[in-house]
Amino acid sequence: MAKNTLNSGKRHMGIRAANALSNTAIYIILIIISIIWLIPFVCIVLQSFRVESTYQVGYVVPKQWGWDNYAKLLTSDFKQWYINTFVTALVTAALQTVIVLCMSYTLSRFRFKLRKPLMQFMLVLGMFPGMLTMIILYRVLKDLGLTQANAVPGLILVYIASSGMGYYVSKGFFDTIPKSLDEAARVDGATRAQVLYKIILPLAKPIVIYTILTAFMGPWGDYVFAKYVSMGTSSGMNVAVGMFGWLSQDQINSSYTMFCAGGVVVAIPVTILFLCLQKYYVEGVTGGAVKG
Amino acid sequence: MANVVLKNVKKVYDNKVVAVHDFNLDIADKEFIVFVGPSGCGKSTTLRMIAGLEDISEGTIEIDGEVVNDLQPKDRDIAMVFQNYALYPHMTVYDNIAFSLRLQKMPEDQVYEKVTNAAEILGITDYLLRKPRALSGGQRQRVAIGRAMVRNAKVFLMDEPLSNLDAKLRNQMRAEIILLRKKLDTTFVYVTHDQTEAMTLGDRIVIMKDGYIQQVGTPTEVFETPQNLFVAEFIGAPKMNIMKTDLIKENGKYYVTPFGTKIEVDGEKGALLAQKGIAPQELTLGVRPEHIILTKSGENAIPCTLEVNEMMGSELHLHVYTEDGTRIVLRVPTLELSAEERASLVSGKELHISFEGKVMHFFDKDSDQNLLYG
Repeated sequence: MAKNTLNSGKRHMGIRAANALSNTAIYIILIIISIIWLIPFVCIVLQSFRVESTYQVGYVVPKQWGWDNYAKLLTSDFKQWYINTFVTALVTAALQTVIVLCMSYTLSRFRFKLRKPLMQFMLVLGMFPGMLTMIILYRVLKDLGLTQANAVPGLILVYIASSGMGYYVSKGFFDTIPKSLDEAARVDGATRAQVLYKIILPLAKPIVIYTILTAFMGPWGDYVFAKYVSMGTSSGMNVAVGMFGWLSQDQINSSYTMFCAGGVVVAIPVTILFLCLQKYYVEGVTGGAVKG
Repeated sequence: MANVVLKNVKKVYDNKVVAVHDFNLDIADKEFIVFVGPSGCGKSTTLRMIAGLEDISEGTIEIDGEVVNDLQPKDRDIAMVFQNYALYPHMTVYDNIAFSLRLQKMPEDQVYEKVTNAAEILGITDYLLRKPRALSGGQRQRVAIGRAMVRNAKVFLMDEPLSNLDAKLRNQMRAEIILLRKKLDTTFVYVTHDQTEAMTLGDRIVIMKDGYIQQVGTPTEVFETPQNLFVAEFIGAPKMNIMKTDLIKENGKYYVTPFGTKIEVDGEKGALLAQKGIAPQELTLGVRPEHIILTKSGENAIPCTLEVNEMMGSELHLHVYTEDGTRIVLRVPTLELSAEERASLVSGKELHISFEGKVMHFFDKDSDQNLLYG
């Protein structure tokens, strides 16, 4: 008996040691990868504080530190671009989230005649590259007077117009929430809308967060479409389009460090958004709902 | 508190499957009615049509005199308990029970009073602040019942509420539902596939098969006067023994001749046969396991061989087969046998069984209808 215990204890130690060793190896690899990953970001942050020169240099750590580049942002068109981008992304995120979630709920819970054909149609439609629509969309927006200086409402319109097609992920999640919860709530006196926001959405929190994040990130980082719709009019540009101008031949020497500062400022809201929302990525929210 | 009337209710699913055919039933105010039948018989579909969770293809459903066909579930004033509990997992037990009251915009102090009151009746006061996932199956089912209880709805619907519980808990909860019914004093519609639940809970039982009602009646009625072979076999456990036999008439008396015997149909059953003028014919004979007795060899004793002996505690279930291979089950109270006799009942033992005419059920051999009550 005692011998057995001893043996199993030994074996136990062996497994522990092996685990510790492989864990250490894994952590070392991960740390190396994350350092490689972080180097560009660190460089940008450091460069944004460089005040001794404004052009590209061969070293990373600034010789003189200061907030000059950030101050210059405030006096440039950057402020307008930032507001444009922020408004576009915020309005798009709000509307797109509502549309996607309603669409997903409908396709997940309602059974109507054209449900299957509609889903197939959207699947096929989604296979066409979005770029194909750019020229015709530009014509439509121009006729509506929503280009150049009015690019912000024009862009919002384009971003949310096709958002219903992004229902796949959230519909898939909604499908995993037992239908009897809906039924119980409806018998308890809830309307379909109340079922959605009192039962389904709280249970689908991770997917709601995911939808908001992707809806915000799309317009926030968009370059190609924003470039076409603003068509060289500075007051209609978003940050990506506007700041890209600073990297042109004639401006790069005077604006490079400012570009880095702009990059840092652009990253801030997204970082905050992620930090705030990441704690909602909790799994197993539906545990105990129904007998599984 | 209301009556429920189903008139010619039919349910056809989108794939053209007919789940319920021409269902007619008057459920009286404060009645406890049980729909029972094998799976796929349409009992749950009928319940869900009353709840408003399924469309009604044809016919009408009235609750308290009002046709509810086109009313949403929330406007029907019904409460429902689901088989899988369907508790809201993101809410505490308290919030789960309070959900419907808050939707009615009831003041929070009244909500508190109702919820705590219900929790006390169900014995879940200690768990009010827990989430459903931290509860056991029985506790979850209590919460589900509590959620339905606080509504004071006109009709209380229960869709197989006990089938997810283990046997012991099921017995306990069954007793609690009887007590609950007394306290709530409202109309109950209860769906189950378990005939024991149906018999013990229902004022009346609706036995269904393939979307058709087979019989509606009190537990005693469906047990003692089953209208057809299906009801006879479905109600009662172990199920009724069925054998092919001839009904003959000699000197004004009826006899049946199972397995080469000749047993007189005496008493009430014989009188009824005569009264109805049933002609001698080949028929299906039904005898319940508790009505068959072990006997010694002799006239009208059927020789058979013991196959399985199930010791149930207070009684033995003996599975035997006759010379022509017909399987018969009989229930023998343990107390009627001596220890020696019990010990001798092993597989392969030759036995003799018999039964009397007054316990027999007679079914038409083709239509399966009860010849006396069908």
